[in-house]
Amino acid sequence: MKSQSCSFTLPRVYHGPGTESLVYPHRDKGHHRPAISGHQAIHTEETVWMSQVYTINLESRYLLIQGVPALGVMKELVEQFALYGAIEEYHALDEYPAEQFTEVYLLKFQKLHCARVAKKKMDERSFFGSLLHVCYAPEFETVQETREKLQDRRKYIAKATNQGDCFVLKKVEGPKKTETSEHDCPWSTSGSYAASNWNPSCFTSSHGISHNTGHPSGNHNQSLLTSPHYDNNCAEASGYFGQNTSLTPSVHLGGRTPPASLMQQRMVPTYSGIDRFMPRTTHLQERKRKREEGNRFSLLGTNADNTEVIIGPQLPQIPKVDMDDESLNTSATLIRNKLKEVADSVSVEKPESRSAKPVVKQRRRI
Amino acid sequence: MLTEDNETLVEFAVGGLCNLCLDKTNKEYILEANGVEAIINCLSSPNEETVVSAVTTLMFLTTPQSRHQTTALPVVECMLRFSLSANKRLSNLATLFLEDYCSPPQVEEARNLSKHTAVGIPLPKD
Repeated sequence: MKSQSCSFTLPRVYHGPGTESLVYPHRDKGHHRPAISGHQAIHTEETVWMSQVYTINLESRYLLIQGVPALGVMKELVEQFALYGAIEEYHALDEYPAEQFTEVYLLKFQKLHCARVAKKKMDERSFFGSLLHVCYAPEFETVQETREKLQDRRKYIAKATNQGDCFVLKKVEGPKKTETSEHDCPWSTSGSYAASNWNPSCFTSSHGISHNTGHPSGNHNQSLLTSPHYDNNCAEASGYFGQNTSLTPSVHLGGRTPPASLMQQRMVPTYSGIDRFMPRTTHLQERKRKREEGNRFSLLGTNADNTEVIIGPQLPQIPKVDMDDESLNTSATLIRNKLKEVADSVSVEKPESRSAKPVVKQRRRI
Repeated sequence: MLTEDNETLVEFAVGGLCNLCLDKTNKEYILEANGVEAIINCLSSPNEETVVSAVTTLMFLTTPQSRHQTTALPVVECMLRFSLSANKRLSNLATLFLEDYCSPPQVEEARNLSKHTAVGIPLPKD
C-alpha cells in the first residue's frame, strides 16, 4: 500500500477503495454518509447504499467512538459501554480528527462479542445531545491479539459445526504453541450466540423448562439466555463430548470438572456425592424422562392386572413426577392436589352457571 | 466470481469466503474447486478489504494437503511485503501468516529471492 497523507475533512466521510489514508483507515460504508471530496464521486454512487461485509478481520475488541460531546463525559461514556461487557482500557484519542466540540475515544473490551453487542447498540445512539458513531478499530490490535482473535474464530466454528477441525488447529499451531490458547473466550463467545446457534442442541436439554412451566416455546430463548454460561457450558459439554480432546477448554465455573467427567456424571445420575452439582440440564432431562414414563403409566394405567377392558387411552392425569427431593415432592403434591380441587370445583360449577343465564357478550366500549 | 471487474463484488465475495471457509465441507469444496489460486489473485487487489480477507482466507484454508499451495513461494514473498506495510491490519495478518503458517526456511527462501527480483504477485496498484 503506498503512503498517503492524512486527508480528513470530516471523520464520517465515506472513503472509497484505495483512497484511504493509512493512519486513520476507518471505513464507514455501512453508514450511508455522502462523500465530501469530488474525486470519490465515482465510487460512492453505487456503493454508498450497500452495506458492508463483516469478516473476522474487521471486527475487533477495540471500538472507536466518535461524536462524543466535549463536555467532560468520559466517565459516563465508559459506564454506558461497560453495560455490555468488561472494558480493559479506554482513552481519548486527541490526535484523531474530530468535529468541532466532539471528542474521539478508543475503548478496548475484554471480549470480542461484548464489543460486537456494544457497537450494535450504541452506534447512532444519542449521547448527551450528540449522535455517537461507533466502529471497530482492528488496526489498534497487536499481532498477538489478532492471532488470538483468529484462533477464537476457528474454535467457535469448529464447535458450532460440531466438527473435529482440531487436526488443522494442532498442525498449524503445533510449532508455535508456546502459550496456551485455551481461554475462557470460546465459552463466553458462544454464550452470546446462544440465541441463534445453540438452540438446536440446547433445545433437547432445556425442553424440560417449558414443559414444567407450561410456557410456549417462544420462551426457550429467554430461559436459555437468562440462565447464563452455566447452562450453555453444560449443554455444549454434553453436546460436544464427541469432540477431540485437544479442543477441551477448561470450564470456568468456580472449579467445575472438565467436560469428560461431566459426561460421566450424566451417565451415572445417581452418583450421590455430586448430586448437588449435577448440571441443571441433566436434572431436567431426568425429570423429562420420568415424566414421560409417568405419562405412559397414566395412559396405560399402573395396574399390572388389567381386569377391565380399557378402550382407548385414559384421560391424561396430571403426571406425578418424582422430583428427587423431599421438599420439592411435597410442594408438587400440594400443588397437584390443589389443581385437582380447582378442576373439580370448576367442572361442578360450570353446568350450574350454564343453566342460570346466557353469557352476555361483551361489547366494545369505544 | 473472484475475477469479476466490479471490485465491490470481489470484496464481498472474498469476505464471504473468509467467513465460511472454516467449515470443513466448505473448505474441501473450495480446495477442490481450485479456489486457492483465485484467492491468491485477490492479494493484488487495490481494495484493502479484499486483500485482508484474502490473507485470512488463505490462513483458514491451509491444511496439510493444501499447504504447498497456500504457502507457495510467491505467496510468502507477498506476505513479506505486506508485513512491512504501514497498514497495521495488513501487516499484522501478514506477520501472523509468516509466523504461524510458514516454516522458517520458506520465509528465508522468500526473503532471499525478493532481494534479487520482483517476481511473483504484483504489488497492489494503490
